[in-house]
Amino acid sequence: MNDTLLWQIRYFVYSHFADTTHPPPVDGTARHFNISTEEASDYYKELHNRHAFFLEPETLTVRMANPFSGIPTDFKVHANGKTYFANCAWDMLGIPAALHSDAVIEAACIESNDTVQLEINNGQITNYRAASPRDDLLIHFPLPFAHWYDDLTFT
Amino acid sequence: MLLFQSEEWIDKWCQRNNLERGEVLTIHQVWELSKLWYQDRLSVDYHGRSIEQVAEIFKQAGLRSDFWYIQR
Repeated sequence: MNDTLLWQIRYFVYSHFADTTHPPPVDGTARHFNISTEEASDYYKELHNRHAFFLEPETLTVRMANPFSGIPTDFKVHANGKTYFANCAWDMLGIPAALHSDAVIEAACIESNDTVQLEINNGQITNYRAASPRDDLLIHFPLPFAHWYDDLTFT
Repeated sequence: MLLFQSEEWIDKWCQRNNLERGEVLTIHQVWELSKLWYQDRLSVDYHGRSIEQVAEIFKQAGLRSDFWYIQR
């Protein structure tokens, strides 16, 4: 396996997400790099094993290239004229951080079922709303860092 | 990682799901962490991170409790 090509493929997948809001299929990646689908599949699996991105179980479909989600979620990020889905409450902030862009974020609070909207403008969070003025919006990290990758979908 | 509007909602969620409470950060703390964690993710030069680099990010973000401890 060619290490340079491995990281070029990682970059291609991330760039594709940023440009289109969804991941490239493995055969599209193969065509882009002029390699066989089997070879591209091996690179996808290796990048999954190295936690560079994460495949749906038993498939070659990219489910998560953090902060981007390959499937719709409760964390919607409007940035650069596109709408992305983030994997979690942390990643909804990770998308404007990765894109270095302003953003409008719509997210569901899991327990209250309320939808919250916040904006990122010039590197600052603005215009967010919490339940009451004394409350800040909070993000709960259920597992210590040492266990994040045990079950990434739960994390 | 899930979003909540108050500490009370977190306690309710943990109780309902029979889960222990983890670490709670404000949205502003997570924004600062996000900038450190994701700022280079779309760079062609990003090749993952070492344990030491992760530990340095947590330190810069002020996350110093055992929850963020990384075994080296």
